[in-house]
Amino acid sequence: MSEIGVWITALTTLAIYSFLYRDNPFYKAAEYLLIGLTVGYSLVISVKTVLWPGLVLPLVGGDLAKIIPLVLGGLMIIRLVPKLTVWSRIPLAVIVGAGAGVSIPAMLKARILQQMGATVGHVASLNGIIMLVGVIATVMYFYFSREQKGILQPVAKIGTWYMMIFFGATFGYTVMSRVSLLIGRMEFLLGDWLHLLGG
Amino acid sequence: MRFDRRYIFLAIAVAVAVPMLFPIGLPVAVTDETRQVYDRIENLAPGDVVMFSFDHEASSLPEVRPLAEAVLTHCFRRGVKVIGLALFAEGAAVGYDILKDVGEREDKTYGEDYLYLGYRPQYSAAILGMGESIAEVFPADYDQTPYEELPLGQRVKSYADIELVVSVADGSLPTYWVEYAQARYGQRIVAALTAVMVTAYNPYLEAGQLDGILGGLKGAAEYEKLLGQPAAGTRGMDAQSLAHLTIAILIILGNIIAFARWRRGKSGKEGDA
Repeated sequence: MSEIGVWITALTTLAIYSFLYRDNPFYKAAEYLLIGLTVGYSLVISVKTVLWPGLVLPLVGGDLAKIIPLVLGGLMIIRLVPKLTVWSRIPLAVIVGAGAGVSIPAMLKARILQQMGATVGHVASLNGIIMLVGVIATVMYFYFSREQKGILQPVAKIGTWYMMIFFGATFGYTVMSRVSLLIGRMEFLLGDWLHLLGG
Repeated sequence: MRFDRRYIFLAIAVAVAVPMLFPIGLPVAVTDETRQVYDRIENLAPGDVVMFSFDHEASSLPEVRPLAEAVLTHCFRRGVKVIGLALFAEGAAVGYDILKDVGEREDKTYGEDYLYLGYRPQYSAAILGMGESIAEVFPADYDQTPYEELPLGQRVKSYADIELVVSVADGSLPTYWVEYAQARYGQRIVAALTAVMVTAYNPYLEAGQLDGILGGLKGAAEYEKLLGQPAAGTRGMDAQSLAHLTIAILIILGNIIAFARWRRGKSGKEGDA
């Protein structure tokens, strides 16, 4: 990164972190800059790597099949004209229909059937038993068709404990993740910008 | 009395900065999960192909870059070929940058040893499409060279020619790799994740739907240790440990104060009665 690039990065990093002290115009400016850059960057990438080679060039080259996505895309943008909003339902219907058709069987297999198979398939081990008990107890906690009394109550309680352990582990990992991001910025500020780090 | 939380921010900043300026060199223990990923790559034969999908945004770079660099370095040293791509627009240039950097450092040739396909929207369609034909989904690479003109592109037609997919992710993309590439085409997958995502993917690892998980900067440090090449992950570990210690102390202190207040409130009520 060039020296001017390092300075811009360092100053915008400090502007963002200044929010920890209190809200201020430098933070706001950096925030708006980030949003604008993100949208601009995504737009350029989409045009350069998707629309231009995938739509414009084939159309110019005579690939008439590309007219279909062009029309559907155009109908989607027509949403911006209030009187013509109804036409945008056509591409939306295509997206919803195709999306549901593709994703439902895949989700059913990967997220439910394979997961259920793995849950009951390891009951010969202690880990497998702990997992099976956890799944049943947690599912019972979310069973709302009967009041949680009698046998349901202790089972749901065990489910609550399992969830608490999960939330604790997730929180721990979240802390680790956020600290890692701070480490990355600190390494940049102390190393690349201020040249205080050796190596 | 209210405690100004800015003191906590300051404490964390000090806990991170001090070990960077004065490294302690705390040991890094390698977990079974990291070793599993390392062994998976170690057991690949020279010439095998691994697909790297950069499924993340730029904001998570401090975590995912060390992970990607460590696994990529290992792949190149094993003589494994690499095909890179991005399913998030923000990951497109970042992935290219990482792949080029590591490829050049390991003295690899673009097009023969590795190539980069760039970004495709609609990740479910892209993942499914590559099961039939990669050239259909990516007719050209990131620099607009036709896919089938590249030596590696001529060899690799679909998942059938790919040994492993590594999804470098900060969100839900590995789930889609499992749903559309693993469940449908039997493609083996490893997830290199930000730490915050690890608990969400452990069930997939337990179920055998993922071949391995690498989690966060700690995962990168462990992998670097196995590679025998300390880098960004290892450098951050002192700061990570000290920051965690500071946070743990703050949580314990906060609970002691909350408990003392609760006791005081309870005894106050009993006195009133």
